[in-house]
Amino acid sequence: MTVKKFKIWLAPDINKEEEWLTEMSQKGLHLQKYRFFTYYFEEDHSKSYTYQIDFRQGAKQDYFQLYKDAGWEYITEVIGVFHYFRTDSKRPDVQKIYSDSQSIQDSYIRMRGFYLLIFILFLVSQLGVFTSWGGWPRYIVIGVDVVLILVYLRLFYVLNKRINYYRKS
Amino acid sequence: MAKKPESFLPLSQATYYILLSLREVRHGYGIMQDVEEVSKGEVKIGPGTLYGAMGKLEKQNVIEMATVQDDDRRKYYQLTDLGKEVLLLEYKRLKSLVENSGVLIKEMGER
Repeated sequence: MTVKKFKIWLAPDINKEEEWLTEMSQKGLHLQKYRFFTYYFEEDHSKSYTYQIDFRQGAKQDYFQLYKDAGWEYITEVIGVFHYFRTDSKRPDVQKIYSDSQSIQDSYIRMRGFYLLIFILFLVSQLGVFTSWGGWPRYIVIGVDVVLILVYLRLFYVLNKRINYYRKS
Repeated sequence: MAKKPESFLPLSQATYYILLSLREVRHGYGIMQDVEEVSKGEVKIGPGTLYGAMGKLEKQNVIEMATVQDDDRRKYYQLTDLGKEVLLLEYKRLKSLVENSGVLIKEMGER
């Protein structure tokens, strides 16, 4: 049986998302697919997996093969940069894909670079919209943009907090 | 504009074991296994950490891709000349640290 759940996470919260997916798996619901903020779970009470998400741009075959060799099953990806893996919860060895704080910090720095580029592209694209709309539609555009900019600022705030946290440890 | 081997020191524990594992040509998972074995289970590297480390080391020209036939799915690595120098220098540094301090640390323990 497939169970669907709608949920939105902020990108830097992948650690919370991982925990949530692992908890769901303990309840017998295992992530199979992700599409438009919807998680598709397959029900099976005989299994339990640990889920991990990796941010990686330009992942090639050797990347996926390495995870496979290390015992991580590839499940799905989101926008081509978030890769979802899982492994049997009962495995005694490494249960995390990152084994030191330096590499966790590196992954958040990569993520920040990616979102900064998107944010800049977004701002540039809005300049065109701004000049071509007049009257009341312009206020709708401004309203939507303000909300989006606030979401981005929140995203960068959380990312910077994470990066600083892993710098100290 | 090659970087001097000295500028890479000190190495992290994980990086030291990674370079040491490349005394032979290995692929990513082969490196993870060797590091765990040589460090007697003290150092276990996750695939995310290893993949990032390999990318960095390759960019710094400490390691390079090795061509291995019959396996086009995995990427194999080997040390460059610079990488060998870095590993040897770090070994000498650690060795002299332990040698120079050994007697003194022992004395401290006896007090």
